[in-house]
Amino acid sequence: MTLNRLAGASLLALALAVPAHAGELTAWVTDAAAEKPYFDQLTDAFSAAHPEIALNVVPVPGYVDAIQAASVSGSLPDLILLDGPNMAASAWAGTIQPIGELIDPALLADTMQGVIAQGTYGPDGKLYHISPYDSTVLLWGNRSYLEKAGVRIPTGIDDAWTREEFAAAVEALSKVDGVRWPLDMKLNYGGEWMTYGFAPFIQSAGADLINRETWTAEGTVNAPEAVSAISKLQDWYKAGWIVPASAGDNQFYGEKTAALSWVGNWMWPPHDAGLGDDLVMMPAPSFGPNGVTTPNGGWGWSVPATTTNLEDVSAFLNFVMSDAEVAKYADITGFAPSRAAAVPLTKKFSTPGAQDLFAVQGNCCAVVRPVHPAYPAITLSWSRAMLNIFSDGAADVQQELDGVAQYIDLDIEDNAGYPPFGSN
Amino acid sequence: MPSFSNGRSQEVAMLVPAMLCLVLIIVVPFALSVGFSFTDQRLMPRPIPTRFIGVTNYERMFADRLFWQAIGNTVLFTVLVVPFQLAISLTVAMALNAAIPFRGLFRTVAILPLLLPITVVVAIWAVLYRIPTGPLNAVYQLFAGSENYIDFIGGSDTAMVALVVLSAWATFPYQMLIYLAGLQDVPGDLYEAAELDGATAWQRFRFVTWPSLRNVNIFLLIITTIQALKLFTQVSVMTRGGPNGSTTTIIYYLFQQGFTSQKIGYASAISVFFFVAVTTIAVLQRVFLKNEGEA
Repeated sequence: MTLNRLAGASLLALALAVPAHAGELTAWVTDAAAEKPYFDQLTDAFSAAHPEIALNVVPVPGYVDAIQAASVSGSLPDLILLDGPNMAASAWAGTIQPIGELIDPALLADTMQGVIAQGTYGPDGKLYHISPYDSTVLLWGNRSYLEKAGVRIPTGIDDAWTREEFAAAVEALSKVDGVRWPLDMKLNYGGEWMTYGFAPFIQSAGADLINRETWTAEGTVNAPEAVSAISKLQDWYKAGWIVPASAGDNQFYGEKTAALSWVGNWMWPPHDAGLGDDLVMMPAPSFGPNGVTTPNGGWGWSVPATTTNLEDVSAFLNFVMSDAEVAKYADITGFAPSRAAAVPLTKKFSTPGAQDLFAVQGNCCAVVRPVHPAYPAITLSWSRAMLNIFSDGAADVQQELDGVAQYIDLDIEDNAGYPPFGSN
Repeated sequence: MPSFSNGRSQEVAMLVPAMLCLVLIIVVPFALSVGFSFTDQRLMPRPIPTRFIGVTNYERMFADRLFWQAIGNTVLFTVLVVPFQLAISLTVAMALNAAIPFRGLFRTVAILPLLLPITVVVAIWAVLYRIPTGPLNAVYQLFAGSENYIDFIGGSDTAMVALVVLSAWATFPYQMLIYLAGLQDVPGDLYEAAELDGATAWQRFRFVTWPSLRNVNIFLLIITTIQALKLFTQVSVMTRGGPNGSTTTIIYYLFQQGFTSQKIGYASAISVFFFVAVTTIAVLQRVFLKNEGEA
């Protein structure tokens, strides 16, 4: 089964690979629904601005497999989309090249710091990845349930809920008529979401996925602060206050049996459609001494090491990161624009309002996922632990997080510390 | 002089294409797996050399709590699904072998699950199992007279059973077809003789049908066991190995290690173990269950 998938992806990679010529560019993109309308119009928009370059944008099904297969067989196109946290693994492996010098410094100057941080590879301090958008997570609420429960609705970062207030709110909401589960944490997503959406709780509490100085996980991911933060959430799960994975996606915005939803900005359109005026957007809670902490980042552009027509690539990167294109990307997909100059040009983000929270959180409170080649191992072990902790049978938090630390450190040891990481 | 009239060389010549395929797609990859299992090979290229690490992968595997949990889950699934699925297959085959009206139509309908991609089957069952208001829970609530629900997929006691039922439903028509063929091979005069002797329906099944299906049963037992041990797609799509690891099977664990975690060396060790285990089970089944007419 898996071999078939990889073999299929390899064949696809071979079929799609186009030898590079000056004046020709091939870019691979995901075929995800939210981004599709943007990529569908990208070729025409780019051709209008750069008639001298023939751009071929290829939506690739089974994207991650195809990229892996093409990396192994050395048949990557001129440009690829890469999920931000996986950049370090590719840069370390040498399959992508630095792109900072290909982009107009004026465009990088007002790009959100979190997006630059996500794209910058520690050992050489160079930029390998750039994204037209940033993402964040909000606490979305159903106003009528919140009012019935008599819960204070915070309006900005400064008055975000504390851990105690959050707990009290969840408990109060659990008693409101019509609420079956007070809180939806999107356990149905699984995968990368479990890292993206749950690491901020331990980071706010004072722990992290990995120590970013020593690059060891033991003592950091399983620190008492991490165990206490996750245990708090698990208590809510055990009390039946968190929507279980099998209840599907729409308990907050469709069935309206959930009063709060902890999820990213991409759910804004369905939330808006489902709740209308009842929808409130609240900042991420402050779960500990580090205050409000949010995840950020996402997919962006990288250039394979094999790419040689760098002038054309440079034209492309400057185009997709231009004010107008970044604004268009935000309006089409609902993600926040990654450049300040693009904000006034967007329809969704230019008017003051609750959506400002996206940008505010991105600037004040975002902690980028560890930019380290061990990230695939970090996210695999952490998300597996989260799924175990937030499931029937409720695994022991300390034991699970100890397992995560062990798994990550073993992976780093297996790769000789990922040199030059760990040599300091 | 070798020629096409020479039976021996003709046999060899006709075997070559098949053998070549077998070697290329089974023997060579397996040999590579054995080789990789003694190294720290990764899926993606990396700037440090791959090293020979002896039996480290095997030592880690045998010390790995999650590996043993995966073995336990796989054995449990197999022990549950094989008898259940074969019982459904045989029952439906017997019903469709009887002289019922619209038999052709029913035979066609019974094969439908086999025509659906397994991912579609999983999607259908995910709706049936939904909480709090899926169809199965609606039935449960009707009988229980309460608003409580059963979280079939999310319960650590029920998730495996949910997978067993869905997997049996998804693939039983294959076994059913083979049973149907087997049933049609049972000579009618045996039933006539049994009836003359005054045998009841149960006795006709017990002493005529069942013994006549011996070879079919052995074949299906081996095939279904191997199929069950390879459980992956349903887990990957529906439960992702949860809740709390209770549905992580060996193949799913192998997939996670090899592709998500990119540890090809370690995943190869698991695959070598799996190959040896499945082969051993199949050979033992073959040794202990002799076909009719075999010594």
